[in-house]
Amino acid sequence: MVAVTAIGVRDAVPAADWPSAVRAAAGPLVELGAASAEYPEACVAMVERHGPYIVLTPGLALVHARPEDGGLSVGVAVSRLAEPVVFGHPDNDPVDLLLAFSSPDADSHVAALSTVAKALSAGLADRLRAARDDDELATLVKEALTDV
Amino acid sequence: MALDRPLEVLTVCGVGMGSSLMLKMTAESALRALGVDARVECVDVSTARGKQPDVIIGQDMHTSELPELAPVVVTISDFLDSDGLESALRERLGAKGWLP
Repeated sequence: MVAVTAIGVRDAVPAADWPSAVRAAAGPLVELGAASAEYPEACVAMVERHGPYIVLTPGLALVHARPEDGGLSVGVAVSRLAEPVVFGHPDNDPVDLLLAFSSPDADSHVAALSTVAKALSAGLADRLRAARDDDELATLVKEALTDV
Repeated sequence: MALDRPLEVLTVCGVGMGSSLMLKMTAESALRALGVDARVECVDVSTARGKQPDVIIGQDMHTSELPELAPVVVTISDFLDSDGLESALRERLGAKGWLP
């Protein structure tokens, strides 16, 4: 297991638009103590400032802000939306899966995120989409964070 | 002309710690498949401006801000598409004579 202090999942998240989806995706990080209360809004501001590039592959957004925006520890949270939302990305819309993370500094998240990147390349997103419920989502995320 | 040193590659995004880190993993995998000795670093767009890489990889909304920064600028929209990136790099690096 790489160093992750908090893992959260949320299923069937209702979100009318991308900012609601981003706030909801970052919510578990706050609940788990991995990020401060202002972190979700900072994640929204990040997309407003830099554009919808966080939709890094079709259907999946990587939600985060900077460590100084309220990252307290390394947290990872996966949310599945009840209905997909549009971010305004030229190729990768609509989004139904959001992967949020927090980090206390510029480096602590690297191992966890690299591990998730490998898992995503090996088809994790489709397995998350096929998961039956919260429990299966949580199992998949924990497996993905286990170094092999 | 062949490089006598590792290829310097930057993956870029808005913040330099999330999407570009994911893209770094994809780029390393594609470069490994091509047998290219490379050093890949993930950065935000403003940090990228202060560097002199051989290759920049990112989404159009960022690479379009850095068109002259590197001899090779590769724009991709799916950061997890290692095969797609590999074929783009094969063509672009091949044109420079930078493939082994």
